[in-house]
Amino acid sequence: MKGYKKPLPKPTPWSKPFWDGCKNKKLLIQRCKDCGKHIFYPKLFCPFCLSNNLSWIEATGKGKIYTYTVVYSYQPTEFSEDVPYIIAVINLDEGIKMMSNIVDCKPEQVKCDMEVEVVFEEVADEVTLPKFKPVS
Amino acid sequence: MGSFKGKVAVVGIGEVPTGKFPERPCLQNALEACREAILDSGIEKNEIDTIMPTGTFFDRRYNTDMIFSKLVEELGLLNIAKNNFQVFAGGSSSSTMLKTACGLINSGLAKVVLCVQSDKTGSAPVQEMIDLFATFGIPDEWETPYGFFMAGTGSLFATRYMHETGTKPEHLASVVVSMRKWAALNPNAMLRRELTIEEVLNSKMVATPFTTKEGNVLADGAAAFIVASTGRARDLPNPPIYPLGFGSRVCHYAISQDMDLTRLGFYEASQEAYEMAGVGPEDIDIAELYDGYPIFPLITLEGLRICNRGEAGAFVYEGNTWPGGKLPMTTNGGMLGQGHTAAGGGVAILVEAVRQLMGKAGERQVKDATIAVESSLGGTFMDSHIVIMGRELP
Repeated sequence: MKGYKKPLPKPTPWSKPFWDGCKNKKLLIQRCKDCGKHIFYPKLFCPFCLSNNLSWIEATGKGKIYTYTVVYSYQPTEFSEDVPYIIAVINLDEGIKMMSNIVDCKPEQVKCDMEVEVVFEEVADEVTLPKFKPVS
Repeated sequence: MGSFKGKVAVVGIGEVPTGKFPERPCLQNALEACREAILDSGIEKNEIDTIMPTGTFFDRRYNTDMIFSKLVEELGLLNIAKNNFQVFAGGSSSSTMLKTACGLINSGLAKVVLCVQSDKTGSAPVQEMIDLFATFGIPDEWETPYGFFMAGTGSLFATRYMHETGTKPEHLASVVVSMRKWAALNPNAMLRRELTIEEVLNSKMVATPFTTKEGNVLADGAAAFIVASTGRARDLPNPPIYPLGFGSRVCHYAISQDMDLTRLGFYEASQEAYEMAGVGPEDIDIAELYDGYPIFPLITLEGLRICNRGEAGAFVYEGNTWPGGKLPMTTNGGMLGQGHTAAGGGVAILVEAVRQLMGKAGERQVKDATIAVESSLGGTFMDSHIVIMGRELP
């Protein structure tokens, strides 16, 4: 954790609850109290109905891999020591999509539609990243 | 809708060779492309009332100069030009500039529009460019922390597409083979050596399923085109090339938020463009499709209904898009063959569509090409644009 050199997310006032949730090992997503839709990534207002009336709910943290890639070379400088690493877009059970890394998974094992669940990786004092691992 | 049809035409094109030319400033490339386009069109340069430079990533100073009318001064259009402004959507600046120029001319707000692009991504240190491109349309809060970057973008589309359609790595690799065959015939292309499917698949893996040969090679380059009213075009030396139909959809900012990475907006965009143009897939003589990565021409061929869903890979693999094939595709070699000059990759493809329709493509000229389709995508392939152009009005 100390000396983590990779880019860190810089939360906005409206995304801060998400990152605070990660620190507490909870995957929080927004829900519009007017139209009922789930929202990710965090928005200032509901992109479906423009309502300001948003709440935060805890997601199950379970979903399926929509797509992925295993990175072997030409990666951003800060990720040089990580290759090969897996980047994926995950369809969460709440009907939202999220990009993250798939961890605890060999590159040759990752598949589309594979079931995954969230794990939390504390990378800096203020930042915990949600990552996903195959459901065992 | 479609009221511009037959009233607006592309009348001239210019392009400098694509490659790595550290000693040539962005401005020099831009000016040479502009001059060539003006001379090619046969138009008197003082008739140009609108300069539309698109954006440049590598040279910020040049980009600022473009915004602030440097070209107007260089082309001797002070107190003559009425407008100088940037139209910029990354890789889809090509279609977007043409669409904007059409609207301006058709409405009478402009008479002759000069569109130009120049960039120098090939002269910069590779790692610096990789890191810079990693900020283009990739959310720093939601994707960058996971090591996502531009060279991984095409891979996410391809992985899902292969999963849903059964398309194989050799099908994707065959797109590169097709591009290189065309580039070999293009004196302005950077990568003119032909490749085999084995060479493509055996080159270094970047981000599965794509290898180095399936990725963009960053380059310097510039291209320009001139748009005028059909009334004016009739008296000029080139056959007027008419934009016949436009269709487009913006499908994401962040790739992770795209609703269907295997289709993008090309199905809707194609339908719109066909309806506006009054033509169908059977009328297309050449497909000047935006590549970037081998997956995109395949998705576009299917959106255009030239191929059935899942069959575009085999269509390319069987040689249908090669020189002499049933449907010549991306005949300048695309970014995988001519080279990637940021927004210029798309502009080069648009210019090539016009060049082919004008019958000026030299060794790679497609015989009797009358209807061409041009496609483009910007950013992390955020928007799907289709433009249909013709040498004749259908």
